[in-house]
Amino acid sequence: MTHARRRAATAAIVSVSAALLAAGCSSSSKPAASATTVAASSNTAAAASSTTKVPLVVYSAQGYDSAVTKAFQAATGIPVSLDDDSTGPLLTKIAAERNNPQWGVLWVDGDTAFASLDKQGQLADYLPPVTFTAAGQALIPSDHSYTPTGTTLMAALIYNAAKVTQVPASYQDLLNPTYKGLIGMNDPSQSGPTYPFIAGVMNQLGGESGGVAAGESYFTQLKANGLKVFPTNGDTLHALETGQIDMGLIQSSAATGELLKAPKSSSFDPKIVYLPKPTLLPGVIGIDKAAPAGEQAEAQQFIQYVLSPAGQKVMQGGDPTGDSLYYPVVSGVDPLSTVPTFPTAYQRIDPYFWGPLENQVNTWFDTNIK
Amino acid sequence: MTAVLLPAGHDQPVLAPTPRRGDRLRMALSRFGAAPMLLFWLVIVGILVLPIVLFLVVAVSPRLMDQGSQWFTLAGFRQAFTGQLLRGSINSLFVGAVSAVVATAIGFGVAWAVIRTDVPGRRLWAGSMYALLLAPSYLVALGWQRLLEPMGVLDLMGLHPGGFRTLFYGPFGVIVVLTLKGVPFSYLAVSAALRGLGEEFEVAARVHGASRAGSLRIVLSLLAPAMWSALAIVFAESISDFGVADTLANAAHFPIATYTLYNAIDSFPVSFPVAASVGWVLMAMAGLALAAQARALRGRSYRVLGGRSRPPRLARLSAAKKYEISTALVLLMVIALGVPVFGAVSASLINGLGSLVGNHTLTLANYRRVFDSSALRGPLFYSARLALVTATLTVAMAVISARMLAGRGGRLGARVLDLMLLTAVALPGIVFAAGYIFTYNLRFVNNLGLHLYETTPLLVLGYLATALPSTTRVLFGPIGQVQNSLQEAARVHGSGAAHSWMRTVLPVLARPLIAAWVLTFAGTLLELPVSELLYPPNHPPVSIGITHALANYDYGGGTAMEVIAVLFSLTVVALVWGAFRLLAPAGWRRLGKATA
Repeated sequence: MTHARRRAATAAIVSVSAALLAAGCSSSSKPAASATTVAASSNTAAAASSTTKVPLVVYSAQGYDSAVTKAFQAATGIPVSLDDDSTGPLLTKIAAERNNPQWGVLWVDGDTAFASLDKQGQLADYLPPVTFTAAGQALIPSDHSYTPTGTTLMAALIYNAAKVTQVPASYQDLLNPTYKGLIGMNDPSQSGPTYPFIAGVMNQLGGESGGVAAGESYFTQLKANGLKVFPTNGDTLHALETGQIDMGLIQSSAATGELLKAPKSSSFDPKIVYLPKPTLLPGVIGIDKAAPAGEQAEAQQFIQYVLSPAGQKVMQGGDPTGDSLYYPVVSGVDPLSTVPTFPTAYQRIDPYFWGPLENQVNTWFDTNIK
Repeated sequence: MTAVLLPAGHDQPVLAPTPRRGDRLRMALSRFGAAPMLLFWLVIVGILVLPIVLFLVVAVSPRLMDQGSQWFTLAGFRQAFTGQLLRGSINSLFVGAVSAVVATAIGFGVAWAVIRTDVPGRRLWAGSMYALLLAPSYLVALGWQRLLEPMGVLDLMGLHPGGFRTLFYGPFGVIVVLTLKGVPFSYLAVSAALRGLGEEFEVAARVHGASRAGSLRIVLSLLAPAMWSALAIVFAESISDFGVADTLANAAHFPIATYTLYNAIDSFPVSFPVAASVGWVLMAMAGLALAAQARALRGRSYRVLGGRSRPPRLARLSAAKKYEISTALVLLMVIALGVPVFGAVSASLINGLGSLVGNHTLTLANYRRVFDSSALRGPLFYSARLALVTATLTVAMAVISARMLAGRGGRLGARVLDLMLLTAVALPGIVFAAGYIFTYNLRFVNNLGLHLYETTPLLVLGYLATALPSTTRVLFGPIGQVQNSLQEAARVHGSGAAHSWMRTVLPVLARPLIAAWVLTFAGTLLELPVSELLYPPNHPPVSIGITHALANYDYGGGTAMEVIAVLFSLTVVALVWGAFRLLAPAGWRRLGKATA
């Protein structure tokens, strides 16, 4: 009896302690927990959504996301829980949450990840009632599983005009010995925008059938001409500023931001040129298919707001020397005056074809080019 | 009165004497004697076992956590043993082993000089060790990069370090930085043991005719737990380090396992099975350290710390020796602290350092920006609160853990705990954090009413899990030296378990406990990898604020934030040690304090 009672008492203490720990911890649970609770009663979620505003959980890597979510909350009264982080950690979290998703909306640059999420059945289809530009229409997937909210270009060639007198006009020009050791680019396994650039060059050189081989041959020649690889946009720009390179292939918004931020001098005069054909790199929103119906409805309202003139204005003011330097994809909205003219020749790569090749291409790049 | 069951041989029932109220309370409490340990194991399972197991199992069964379609596969391991991933693991093993040996040797040398000799500035050198602990490895690496990079400080000064730059941007630089980061761990482990050792063993050896070298061998033998502890800590910390892997090693295109592992889950397509497979490799490496430590210490006793331990006398050095040792210590501190501090402070004060742009004039504008911005003040105080809670919880848990590990006889529980702690050290924080998401975002966990994901408590638990292994290792040496007779004597004289511990063990462990608390506080304040994945939305810790600034190319603002955070950390450290000196009983302060 003594042992049995002791075991029972011990078990009771442990249980009570665990419950207290749980209660103590759960007392500060974030709104996402509430959203999960709503998910449990999905039958009534749709009805509830008309009267109850559940928190909309936004996972975003956009520089203007804080301004936009605040403006959206003020305009609609829908509470927003923003998780602002880099694209990599956000995709990591979404993958880790796979068996119990907590996100309502994902908003990052690049559509290859969205194509993959779509193939896995994680995205809810939605086509917002707005008129897109030609570039915007090209970026919309046939099943409407995600929505472009703007686009940048990959890559912009940013060069130091104080040192470069003969500006390259094509990708083939970059192989010219004149530029030996002067060109830098980002590492595709660390810089999200860079794989679409590599895939774009491959697509341009050999299409979907022979592009990988043609692209590998091109980048091998580029390496032979002294190509230098840096982790991300910022590092490549830093290398340009410090004279390690004279030209960098980076995201157009980062290149434009450098023009705005970096004062000119006799030794540093950054300028931008687009080599034909740059690849569209859209900012994209997708809705979590596993989110409660009420939250999905709010996510649709969020997309509508983002694409509205008011939402676009907030986007353009939220990060004026960074992500706000994008090209709008809805008709009637102009880019900021500081953004270079949109090139007449550009291309869009199929994320459903090139997305699955990302691991293979990046591994090849890691092994042979870096 | 209470009727009791008859003992064998008694014919008549007897009445037990009526227990006093205090006895009844003690008896009642004794029924729950096992509860604290069960609670301890419950926490260990919750913060270490489940996250680690759920993360590692994905390597062979991706389907279990919805990370693939296969219930059983070895595809992740096949990838982990090919190409860059294999190279990264081999590089990690190499730099980990070299850093561990060199850092332990340097740590021992510094500890000996500070505790056993009259070298000038002993407090300064001891304080410098703590200061080095406060700087995350990525800050040390970035400091060196600011110095050596093209158009960096040396270039601006007209000293073009071309050859040294090439050398440093590779395995050499990685080993240098990891060794420097390992030195304070080894110093803390060894110095705590050295303080408790006293000099009676050396004196006894010398009295019996041993040479100076012979007595040193005896000292080294008696310090074996601390030395092996230092080796294990530095090795495990080095192979799991992410800061250097992410900065210097990455810039040098020198792949390290932690970075290849991180890359597997940070770049698209995310592959947890591959990351988990690399995690297994890292865990195996940590297992090697554990096996080596266990093999070296098996069956021996190192209990030398008792109530009769006396502080050692300081060895009087000749002027030439003082000069040599001082020069070596200055050189060590310049390399370890001077360069990163100079790099960070100069970057925060100079307009456009490291760049062609800007006029390179001195300015305080970056600091003004930081102080004017609520975006920093909030995270700094938030991180301070988290560090306070984490450090206190960690030290409490580490005392129990170290006590278990120091117990003789190799009990299963101790071995399991040791394995879990070393595994936790070997796994990089960011991947460890992924295990937390797996564990605390499970539907059935939510259905139990446990909603921890994306909350502050889960972040604290993550910090606790990452701090516990190294803190336990730091306390393992001192606690391993405490003789049981101290507490047993108090118990014999009628003192309760808790009271006797407070009166006998706590005084001799006060310094190491405070050192461990300070270490954990400082480490947690600027912790990055776990924060990256587990911080609650809208509540970024200070490390996230710093990295966001650096990622947005705001080197001035980011480094100003670093400097302020490190100064804050140093202030807390000074306050804690100051309070100890002012408030602790004289006996607590006397133990471990070298006599002049």
